[in-house]
Amino acid sequence: MLYALMGIGLSIITGVLNIPNFAHGALFALGAYFLFTLIQLLGNFWLALLLAPLGVGLLGALIEYAGIRPLYKAGHDYQLLLTFGLSLIVTEGIIVVWSPVGMSQLPPPLLRGGVDLGITFYPKYRLFVMAAAALLVLGAWLFLEKTRYGAIMRAGIEDKEMVSLLGIDIHRLFTAAFALGCVLAGVAGALTAPIRGLNPWMGVDMLGIAFVVVALAGLGNLLGSIVAGLLLGVAQSLVALVWPEASVAVIFAVMAAVLLARPQGLFGIR
Amino acid sequence: MSGVTRRDVLKLGGGAAAAGLGFPAVLRAQPKEVVMLGLWSFTGAFSDVGPVLDRGMKLALDERGMKVQGKPIKYITRDDETKAGSATRRAEEAVDSDGAKFIMGPWSSGVALAVSEVAKRKKVFHYFSGGTEDISGARCHRYSFQWAASPYTAAKTVVDTFMQANPKAKRWHLLVADYAFGWSVEKYVKEVGKGHGIEFVGADRHPLGEREFSNYVTKAAGNKPDVVVMINFGLDAVTGAREIFNFGLTPKIPLIMTWSSGVEELVQLAPEIRENLWVGSNFYYTADTPVAREFVKSYQAKFGNPPGYAPAAAYGMTRMTLAAMDKAKSTEVADVVKACEGLELDDLVGRMRVDPKTHQTLRPYFFMRCKKKDAMKGPMDFADIIATGSTPLPAEYAACKDIGSL
Repeated sequence: MLYALMGIGLSIITGVLNIPNFAHGALFALGAYFLFTLIQLLGNFWLALLLAPLGVGLLGALIEYAGIRPLYKAGHDYQLLLTFGLSLIVTEGIIVVWSPVGMSQLPPPLLRGGVDLGITFYPKYRLFVMAAAALLVLGAWLFLEKTRYGAIMRAGIEDKEMVSLLGIDIHRLFTAAFALGCVLAGVAGALTAPIRGLNPWMGVDMLGIAFVVVALAGLGNLLGSIVAGLLLGVAQSLVALVWPEASVAVIFAVMAAVLLARPQGLFGIR
Repeated sequence: MSGVTRRDVLKLGGGAAAAGLGFPAVLRAQPKEVVMLGLWSFTGAFSDVGPVLDRGMKLALDERGMKVQGKPIKYITRDDETKAGSATRRAEEAVDSDGAKFIMGPWSSGVALAVSEVAKRKKVFHYFSGGTEDISGARCHRYSFQWAASPYTAAKTVVDTFMQANPKAKRWHLLVADYAFGWSVEKYVKEVGKGHGIEFVGADRHPLGEREFSNYVTKAAGNKPDVVVMINFGLDAVTGAREIFNFGLTPKIPLIMTWSSGVEELVQLAPEIRENLWVGSNFYYTADTPVAREFVKSYQAKFGNPPGYAPAAAYGMTRMTLAAMDKAKSTEVADVVKACEGLELDDLVGRMRVDPKTHQTLRPYFFMRCKKKDAMKGPMDFADIIATGSTPLPAEYAACKDIGSL
């Protein structure tokens, strides 16, 4: 589900803005670090979990407004270089502010420990993350499918010129899409922190997986991102049971297999 | 016509020739540099350890004013990328191009075994610290030395001390890093465990750099052990300890980190995760020796936090190498190797002696118990040393039968 969250976020950005956001992994890490600091400041996990992704979203809006927008006319390479540079800046920023040494963030007391599910023993916090991520994916899906602004965003993915000709402020749409993608990366990072801990490079692996989700789904396809995220998560967990060394490689093997059969991705049409 | 005669020209030529012939003699008279290579991981699975290893080695060299036996020391570093291929390539380049004669590192056991072969082939001095027993065991040779305690010494210290404190905890589940270091320590934990009647209810191996431990911990929980024992290192150990806590196993049951870096790992774990955590290590910063006290003081003054096992190992290996040069009164590799064999001194962790037959440094190993949050006197006050052990590897286990010739 976390893969799906990352994939949807990246898919929205890639679809609407037509930019491969290389800073997506670093923003994922930033969500975790914001959560850590907000818990230190506020002493409340739930409030921190709400505010941390919003902080990442705000930063995302600023990045789009001040960084990406001036480069829309400059061409694709410049935008790509910008997001790549931003990923380095955010990672180094984390090192400067929080130090390169890894840290642990505990789950809230209510979600510590495990529960016996009969067939297996499982941590309460992981169960919570599954449920929360599923709800967030559903929320993002409903927003994109059932609301007017969601429809505009989908239309933006399909045909930006047409949306613009209909009198919709396309720049505001770009800012909103980038910010929404960043919120989803931030919330995935914040939810991951108590499971994986924090370190400045924690987004590197996740960035690769998010791109695999987008490629597997079909460029800009939101339903595909959900399905691809789930597929990769299940494939990885199953392979880890029988052959742990291959649990990362299987992600790329699945992508290669799908793209060989369907170069446009599972749900892609272009 | 000028006043220069044929005789003058000949005189000038002769003088120049004499100067030319004499020049190499002047060069030879200059104190030659002693090139020491720190082969550390700045990228790859142990990239977090490379910078602190570098710090430790620099501190040891700075103490000596970057000089040994009247010669200047040139310290060079190379990134081994935590890969055997890269490490051997970098080591060979440093030996061939930079004249490196003394190699410290690398950090990973598997990588170090490959570099040890380079040391043997190129006839350069090599000091390593890690968990594989092969450097001073089956693959021993005259040029490589081992600074870390023998995996047997470590296992004996950890298992004996833990069982003394918890005589009823006899169902052990092991979680082992699947490479040279993990295999060596696992072998002796099981061997020593037999003597205590320990039942090993499970032993799972995980790859180096594993980040998803939930499947392993699910299996561990299913075995209902009295104690979980990890034989892994660095980020693997941190991630594993975190997951074991998330599953609710700790602090209900104890967790042993058999071969830990100490400070570098413990600082990454919240105090709640460290509760009921027992830690074995080659160094802990409260070690009560004069050299350790001075080292910890200068390290803290320079870097703001106490040193863990990694910088201590780099510092310790460098000090031992320099002590061997002093004993040999030479910086020639063959002389230093001979001097290092049997070298005995009070150093970083106490009495240290290099076994001339195996090149294993015989030395104490530390076992700590982490403190509860309310017992900590400061953020870095992680643990108390509850035991040190220095039982050497019994002769019947020694795999180094003939260390060979230079």
